[in-house]
Amino acid sequence: MKPLLIALPKGRLEDELLPRLKGSAFELDPRALKSRKLRIPMADPSLAAILLKGADLPRYVAGGVAALGVVGSDILDECPVDLMELSDLNFGVCRLSLCAPERTTLDMLRRKPHLRIATKFIGATGRWLGQEGLTAELVPLQSSVELAPVLGLADAIVDLVQSGRTLLAHHLVELTTLGKASARLVACRGTFLSEPDRIGPLAKTLAGLLKAAPSQ
Amino acid sequence: MPTHTPSFPDLLFDDAARLRRWETQLMNHLDGAGYRELHPSLVMRNPVNPSTVRFFDGDELVALRWDFTEALARTLVRRFQEPPRRISYAGPVFRRPANSWDPVERLEVGCEHIQADPDQRTEADRELARLLMAVPALLGLEGCLLHIGHAALLRRPMEAEGIPAELGQEVARVLDRRAIHRAAELLDGHPARARLLAHAEILLSGPDGPGSLADLARGPYGALLETEAEQLGRVLSALSAQLPQGLTLRLDLGDLRGLGYYSGPTLRLWAPGAQRELASGGRYDGLYPEMGRPWFAAGFCVRLTTLLELGDNHEGDK
Repeated sequence: MKPLLIALPKGRLEDELLPRLKGSAFELDPRALKSRKLRIPMADPSLAAILLKGADLPRYVAGGVAALGVVGSDILDECPVDLMELSDLNFGVCRLSLCAPERTTLDMLRRKPHLRIATKFIGATGRWLGQEGLTAELVPLQSSVELAPVLGLADAIVDLVQSGRTLLAHHLVELTTLGKASARLVACRGTFLSEPDRIGPLAKTLAGLLKAAPSQ
Repeated sequence: MPTHTPSFPDLLFDDAARLRRWETQLMNHLDGAGYRELHPSLVMRNPVNPSTVRFFDGDELVALRWDFTEALARTLVRRFQEPPRRISYAGPVFRRPANSWDPVERLEVGCEHIQADPDQRTEADRELARLLMAVPALLGLEGCLLHIGHAALLRRPMEAEGIPAELGQEVARVLDRRAIHRAAELLDGHPARARLLAHAEILLSGPDGPGSLADLARGPYGALLETEAEQLGRVLSALSAQLPQGLTLRLDLGDLRGLGYYSGPTLRLWAPGAQRELASGGRYDGLYPEMGRPWFAAGFCVRLTTLLELGDNHEGDK
């Protein structure tokens, strides 16, 4: 039988996630991890992990390639795919915030006849603008969003804020919070419902493990 | 190599032959149980649902048939004073899918059982379940699961707690994804939040059979849902006694898909390895009264597109 695949995120959540798997059936083979292979055996030979960029991960799970996955809720909220969101894992917690250069206020942005907001989170920003009764030009960017107001590409940004250090370095301030984001355990709907005896207990064990604080 | 998602797939020789064979087997199965075929037009008027494939016929906005049940209901209320009791159908429906890569054109075979007398509902539900239980063997599928749920299990508690319709839909949507933590956020500040979340925990505890009904009875809405729980228990024991070999029956209290449409017991057939359900259906007693007829109805459809994909995946494994 082929190993069951679990999709794990590269980047922001990876550093917090991997220590939580240590010593468990889900622990990743350290040699394979160092080799930069994308398909990594786990301690339990019936399981394997694939390391993916967060934005690609929901597609792998919804498409049934991976049975389970861990992904930020910020990504899920931007991706209209049909999957099961089994648990809030309560790590990788951060805020999705509207940020602008120092001395800018929300009222100043509201009064702008042509407001430009740079963001990776087009869906969440659009929904917030709708709730606020505002219109704006959304500038879609994939990385280093903080540069946009500094270099004059946009008046403000909507981005994830964890410690606030990156904002500080670019002389930006948070004006308002649009929502909270954290890591979520997701499952392929088809696999979860058609193989409940196999996936259900596995998902429960993985959620319990990831919700617990990592051992020191 | 295709460069676009095949929203409107062409079926080449082998797939076309498989489709024809399955369609014939299923229609013969339904015909043998007294279901007569009705073939509603491929074009439907008054398309209000934005997920339909719409176009202008002159000045009139129309759509390709998005759902057989609704197409049949529109025909029946226009053409019949008394409903024909057993109807079958086969053909394509066109609807924008939840996942952008899934096909828009989907091929279905299904049936509807319509009753003028409410006392006939239980027997009709069982008849449909028995018909559906025979489908995996007809199609040569092993290891399938038939999930039985009930649409009232979430709707009635939310109505009893005065949850506004829009919030209720949103709660049902997130619980359909098993995201109880999102339901907790949505219900924040509502006086019934703790009760509804305790109830949702029971519904989502997993498809694990009759034990779920005992949990439901002990839960915060045990008394309110006594009738539905008894109904589910009776259906489960009646069908368990007639279960074909190779098919597993499960109670899935967390089956919340189509909550705004279904009104009673629901059925979903899953095949191992399928990314979408192979068949789904249930009781939908609200549709005909909305169209001015005091009729009750239930039905199911088999999704042949899912079956074709399942065949492709299995062949890919070899």
